[in-house]
Amino acid sequence: MRRLALVVVCAALMAAVPGCRRHKKARIETIEESGPQLSPVINMADPHASVQLLKGFYDIEQNAWRWTKGSFSVTLRPPLSAVQKGATLEVKFAAPDPLIAKVKSFTLAANVNGTAIPGETFSKAGEYKYSKDVPASAFGPDAVTVEFAMDKFLPPGSVDQRELGIVVSSIGLEPK
Amino acid sequence: MNRVHRAVWWTLPSLLCLALYWYGLKCWFAQDDFAWLSLHFDVQDLKGLWRNLFTPMAQGTIRFLSERGFFLLFYWLFGMDALPYRIFVFATQVANLVLLASVARRLTGSRLAGFAAPVLWMANSALATPMAWSSSYNQILCAFFLLLSFHLFLRHIETGRWSYYWWQWAAFLAGFGALELNVVYPALAFSYALLCARRQMLKTLPMFGVSILYAALHRYVAPSATGVYTMYWDRSILQTLRIYTEWTMGTTRLDVVGFEQMKLATFAAWVLVAALAAFVVWKIYRRDLLALFFVSWYVLVLSPLLPLRDHMTTYYVTIPAIGLSMLAAWALAEASRSAIWIRIISFGLAAIYLAAAIPLARAETRWHYDRSHAVRDLMLGAQRAREIHPRQAIVVSGVSNDVFWATFPDGAFRTVGVENIYVSPVAYQRQRIEEHPEIQDITEFFLPSAILLRALDRGDAVVYDAAGGRLRNITTQYSFVLGASKVEEPRFLDVGNPLFSKQLGTGWYPPDGTIRWMGPRAEVRLGGPVATGQSLHLLGHAPQELFQNGTVRLTVDINSRELANFQLGPDNVDFELAVPLPSDLKGTGAISLVLAVSRTWSAQGDGRMISLAFGKIFIR
Repeated sequence: MRRLALVVVCAALMAAVPGCRRHKKARIETIEESGPQLSPVINMADPHASVQLLKGFYDIEQNAWRWTKGSFSVTLRPPLSAVQKGATLEVKFAAPDPLIAKVKSFTLAANVNGTAIPGETFSKAGEYKYSKDVPASAFGPDAVTVEFAMDKFLPPGSVDQRELGIVVSSIGLEPK
Repeated sequence: MNRVHRAVWWTLPSLLCLALYWYGLKCWFAQDDFAWLSLHFDVQDLKGLWRNLFTPMAQGTIRFLSERGFFLLFYWLFGMDALPYRIFVFATQVANLVLLASVARRLTGSRLAGFAAPVLWMANSALATPMAWSSSYNQILCAFFLLLSFHLFLRHIETGRWSYYWWQWAAFLAGFGALELNVVYPALAFSYALLCARRQMLKTLPMFGVSILYAALHRYVAPSATGVYTMYWDRSILQTLRIYTEWTMGTTRLDVVGFEQMKLATFAAWVLVAALAAFVVWKIYRRDLLALFFVSWYVLVLSPLLPLRDHMTTYYVTIPAIGLSMLAAWALAEASRSAIWIRIISFGLAAIYLAAAIPLARAETRWHYDRSHAVRDLMLGAQRAREIHPRQAIVVSGVSNDVFWATFPDGAFRTVGVENIYVSPVAYQRQRIEEHPEIQDITEFFLPSAILLRALDRGDAVVYDAAGGRLRNITTQYSFVLGASKVEEPRFLDVGNPLFSKQLGTGWYPPDGTIRWMGPRAEVRLGGPVATGQSLHLLGHAPQELFQNGTVRLTVDINSRELANFQLGPDNVDFELAVPLPSDLKGTGAISLVLAVSRTWSAQGDGRMISLAFGKIFIR
């Protein structure tokens, strides 16, 4: 019993050792901004780009891509020449097998600051680039909101508990 | 055993425990920890200390040793340095493993059982949370007092010395400071005496009196059980027992580590249960009732939790699992002296248990570690941001669901001196956070977009991105993003917060702490309801003096038509009023609200004519 008590007391003393020193306040520096850095292209692998995601995205998976919902939107900085020449809207994405198996085909359409961009229909699983011209009239000096909508997607509970659309790796505005 | 063997026998379970839960030692704080870490704010004198140590809190808990005393003392000694807290938890667990080894060896007479019992218990994945989260220290400390009390009871039986008996009483009484579950100790001692030491039975009976008294007191101070704490005295108890038993075996939770063959996992769990049951039957057949005591430890300690059908938590099997660990350890010891095929089967089953338990315990400990360090990065980053921006509201983007629920609802930022901090209202961020209205409404933690945009324009807010670990100031980018988004009128107003002042029209006085007083009439601007069936909620306060001449009338007008008329009296000093909104208001971009009170009051020396004070006004 005495030996047991000794072991218990030793354990308690071991725990009390750190009490002999007063703890130093931990500190974590923040990264203060260097200037406007809104990007014309959102790479889904970049966690910092999430500030430009407005709605309809899930967390990054495999450090590379994100699932979307049936509709999703982002904010992009237009290329410098966009006000004069317009720009090209590009979405790099994958149409996954479960989506095509369920919906057969779907149409992805976009809207840039209220200007409707023609949709495109996809009927096979695979990797795609949705690339459409956006007229100069859609742009102003500031950032633009780009909204995407799919006509068919996977509702919650059909394949996953989440509503699922496509698997996006990047969205951007390229200069013409 | 020679000296080396003895040293290994005593220390190896503890070293294995340290290795298995190494990340738990390095965890920071999370969730309820912050409520306990905030206790010191209310301790200004001895009266405050007494109140904070012993006043019953949520669900009538007292736990003055495992929660309040533990956090108050350690905060006083070490502040927000989590390591000493964790070391103390581990030290208590070392004591538990030593006690368990001693108890198992004394009961079974087997050194192998004395070694295996702490190893099997320590490896149980139920221990991952208590070994990684300081707020669940109550499990570790309660286990300590139960094991210590029982160990002392055994020593009393062995030696006949009454000092052991009275020290057992002291440990038993102290156990109430750890966890309410301590009430089961008399039943454990009685059960052992009944099955294995009948002449000691009477000595256990007085302790029942203490447990009954404590249970009555707890029932008196605890609020009536509602929501997830509702107790169900029906067949669901058996269902709850089944699930807890599967969790104790561990295999049925392997999906946590990506195991997909869950039918096989469930089968394995019941094979383990069947093997233990077979051992118990064999022992009873041999007229050795000790095995029944081990089962009774499991069932008796678990029994207070079985009616809580809707509040099942994996770490609740931490203390019950001690009983099954001793049973399994004894089975292994007996098997080691049996035929080879029995040895192979027994040790094979133990290997299956450990093969499931160890990866699970490691994964869950690692999850706690990762979450707590994300919490630490966010909180200490916010503390630094507050130093740089002492007056602005701080808005954080990129907050994960786990980190949100481990910080904001528990008032975590107050512990590092940061108030006026919010989560980004952008839908992408908002949708990452799961709603749990049964726990808490989280609306107030998201600064509405319109309010934030206005604050950003005036330089009254800064925005940080938490997605990459260290907080990164993204105020400029965020302003562009929010400026380009559709911004709606807020449907939630924190009336006492100066950031919301533009939503208030005439009739309001300047903020007074977290509230704002109105005169006889005051105007408010809110976003309209987005769905039919929504209500307007008014949370506020009325001074007792306002009712000196009877009740007062509060009239609520919306868009110049009367919506409601409330009579407030002395019972409405703190009021929460709700009134359904007309369906034709659905989709209205903004609504104008006029509040009118039939009487005002003025305190001596205060020139203001005040009526009611409001804290929150919102539509839900």
